[in-house]
Amino acid sequence: MILDLMIWSPVIVGLILLLIGKNATSLSYWLSLTTSLLVFGMSMYALSMFKTDQVGIQFELIAPWIERFNINYHLGIDGISFPLILLTTFITPIVILTARTSNKINLHQYLASFMILEGLMIGVFSSLDAFLFYVFWEAMLIPMFIIIGIWGGENRVYATIKFFLYTFLGSVFMLIAIIYLYISTGSYSIFDFYNLDLSRMEQILIFLAFLFAFAVKIPMWPVHTWLPDAHVEAPTGGSVILAAILLKMGGYGLLRFSLPITPAASNELSMLMVVLSLIAIIYIGMVALSQTDMKKLIAYSSVAHMGFVTLGTFVVFLNHENASIENMNIAISGAMIQMISHGLISGALFLCIGVMYDRIHSREINDYGGVALAMPRFAGLMVFFALANAALPGTSGFVGEVLIILASLKVNFWIALLSGTTLVIGAAYTLWMIKRVIFGSITNEKISNVQDTTAVEFISLIILAFMVLALGVYPEPLMKLMYITLNDLSQLVFAGVGL
Amino acid sequence: MTFNIIGSILPEVTIAVAICIVILVNSLLRNASVTLIHSLVLFFLSFALFLSFVSLELPDSNIFDGHYVIDAFGTNLKIIALIAAILVHLGSFKSKQNIKNEIFLIQLFATLGVMILCSAHNLLTIYLGLETLTLSMYGIVASNRNSIEATESAMKFFILGAIASAIFLYGVSILYGVTGTLSLDLIKDSILLDTLEMRIAVAFMACGIIFKFGAFPFHSWVPDSYQGSNTTAAIYISSVPKIGAFALISRLFLDSMNTMSDFWSILILSAGLLSIIIGNLIALVQMNFRRMLAYSAIGHIGFILLSFSIVNTDGIGASMTYLIMYLIMTIAAFALIESIASEDHQHIELGDLKGLSKSHPLIAFMLLFCMFSMVGIPPFIGFYAKWIVLSELVNNGMIWFALIGIIMSVIAAYYYLRVVWFMYFENNDQAIGNNGILNAQSITSIMVSAMLLLIGLYPNPIIQYIRSIISSFLLID
Repeated sequence: MILDLMIWSPVIVGLILLLIGKNATSLSYWLSLTTSLLVFGMSMYALSMFKTDQVGIQFELIAPWIERFNINYHLGIDGISFPLILLTTFITPIVILTARTSNKINLHQYLASFMILEGLMIGVFSSLDAFLFYVFWEAMLIPMFIIIGIWGGENRVYATIKFFLYTFLGSVFMLIAIIYLYISTGSYSIFDFYNLDLSRMEQILIFLAFLFAFAVKIPMWPVHTWLPDAHVEAPTGGSVILAAILLKMGGYGLLRFSLPITPAASNELSMLMVVLSLIAIIYIGMVALSQTDMKKLIAYSSVAHMGFVTLGTFVVFLNHENASIENMNIAISGAMIQMISHGLISGALFLCIGVMYDRIHSREINDYGGVALAMPRFAGLMVFFALANAALPGTSGFVGEVLIILASLKVNFWIALLSGTTLVIGAAYTLWMIKRVIFGSITNEKISNVQDTTAVEFISLIILAFMVLALGVYPEPLMKLMYITLNDLSQLVFAGVGL
Repeated sequence: MTFNIIGSILPEVTIAVAICIVILVNSLLRNASVTLIHSLVLFFLSFALFLSFVSLELPDSNIFDGHYVIDAFGTNLKIIALIAAILVHLGSFKSKQNIKNEIFLIQLFATLGVMILCSAHNLLTIYLGLETLTLSMYGIVASNRNSIEATESAMKFFILGAIASAIFLYGVSILYGVTGTLSLDLIKDSILLDTLEMRIAVAFMACGIIFKFGAFPFHSWVPDSYQGSNTTAAIYISSVPKIGAFALISRLFLDSMNTMSDFWSILILSAGLLSIIIGNLIALVQMNFRRMLAYSAIGHIGFILLSFSIVNTDGIGASMTYLIMYLIMTIAAFALIESIASEDHQHIELGDLKGLSKSHPLIAFMLLFCMFSMVGIPPFIGFYAKWIVLSELVNNGMIWFALIGIIMSVIAAYYYLRVVWFMYFENNDQAIGNNGILNAQSITSIMVSAMLLLIGLYPNPIIQYIRSIISSFLLID
């Protein structure tokens, strides 16, 4: 019931906002802010009711939807999906809150898109029926397409169509795989897929079909090229949601579908996955180093950080002698924490860039310099997020990466060493950007006249900073939330691989 | 006895009576207003629809010596055709526009042809229905008398259509030569050998059917007649006749010539597959809205034929689901475009849609529904149509065709998205069309588009309904 409310109340409010029309900008702002806060409140309520010591699905809800094909409206959450839902309900109010800082045409449509998007994202994370999952997964493309296309930058049409076609092409292969699994089991329930006995070839093909969809979303090298374009052109709120939540759906899909449905194929193709992850971590890190556009830089840094998620998901299979459930637990909790932490940090960094863009109207690093002199409050926060992005100990960025590197160390020294280079590369590109943008002397005279952060901007950044710090210092509650489910997943996968 | 016969064909009789009355009114009242004729047509269509619902209760029967069959399948198809015809009438009606009254009359004739096709059970009756439909379609396309383009496209359509009819008739005569009968019942009972003559007969008849569907390789009339005629005509020929074609292929090929299914399914399969590829690829470069929709329709028809070629209950069910979803989408898209087209601006180029989201927010929003539905994005009905077809293709080991179909729909996404792009991402100070006054026509178009979402949220009833139709059809036999 509470999941129902969390999915449909933002969607319905979004549709109402579209009907209210452009004459009620202020009303639509407050309505959407209230709704998103209410949804956040609901997720907090769910958190208080969530039993961390219980295996399996909680808040389960099932009703027949399309009987002919045995499709159910089946919702529920566990330790994998719940943290991501919390992330969604936490980030959306911040996006709505900051929506008004820059003048936007048709603000009510902008807010409506985000409200509908929020409902659909929660739907993706909470559906336990593969068909329902696909419906939410694809439906999400529509508001995102509109957000980038209407409120984006100069080159927005190219970026949004590229984004749409990439993701659509990826997901249609997943649709075929889901249909194939339905035909094998006679059900669309994800848990029925887990028990399926698939041959080696079937597993590999299904794994690849799912991988296509998830790799585009994560995005993994070499299908990441839509991301820099989409990020650069998207409005600030769009970038935040894209980086903070949409990318996480790929990682979530790997944990929810790929690992448990095709464990043998995950094992067999783990080398491929690890190599692709390392390329993302090292090569894309290098690419980020050479960017002159701040948003592009953070976009490439997202690809590199998401490389850790895929690394953590698959690294354990590489060395069967040292493979243990404990190590798998460490690796995939690392992947989960990395997802949450990257959601917070990259979201915050895109907000920071948005703050600067609203004042100077440029994303080029060269147009900046000496922001710290003009905007000291803002500069402090931005430096903090940059350090978190570079995985400074004490921030959430550190926890995820260290757990994954630890797990890799037990598998293979060289993989751990290579992935560890991110601490250097990540620090290099983020801090070099900070040096050029925040510090130094003011070269652009526009900067000397700007105001420091407004109350709204300051509050949203402070909240994010607090969360980054809290997760970095004391990640225990998050770990506890996920532990049982992840342990269960590891056992399932190990049994499937035959370890 | 006579009464019983009349009783079972009351819907057809209603339409025939309507035709007579409309002719009388037209000739007696020289200045009869469009509104009057329109209301008359609407009344009779609704009455026929009501009678069809009543005749669902009738037991199955063969009348006129087996020339005509009354069964649930036929009656349900008639219901669908009548609903489509009513929506077309509502969606294309514009009180201010100078529509010739004849077009309503010809549309009634065409609807009658479709209804005859739904029940025809003898090759002669089939041909009767087919020609009633086809001749009326020439008239519909040509009804825009002052336009050179319309006349040209009607002429093209007529020549191609005549050839297709001739080929179909030739196929029928060969079939008659081989089997010695025109009755579908007897053809079904006779043991059809897979001989060369039979193959020629089937191939010729398939040409006629594919022409009626407007699928590759007999698709060239589709874009011309959509573009040349006015929207009132285009919305009709893009929707109702496809139901007749579906009835024809089901009765003739699926039901009576099932023993030849190995052969005709290959023909239908290749026509379907090539339609998907050719239609969607050519649509990519079209900049005229109706022409783009025409090529996109060829692509959609391809999916209908592709799943028809599976030749089992589920495959035919998928095909019919796609057909119904296609009808809703296409009527919605045309009606929306019609509602913004002004009288002197009939030919809507894609560029004219720029800034539509500002000038007509509601229409633009609904057109966005249509476009995403045609791409196949959930939760709109276009997605369910594609998914059911793909599902059945995968289920029957035709996964490669499913992959081709789905990759083509990703490519097709580009030209549908272009419409959204022009409407929402571009600005234009000189917005086209009227001021978006709500009238019967725009309300209909908005309601039909809202169906795209509403059925999409809960598609269960429609899927069950189609399944019951198809299983009753295949059980009888």
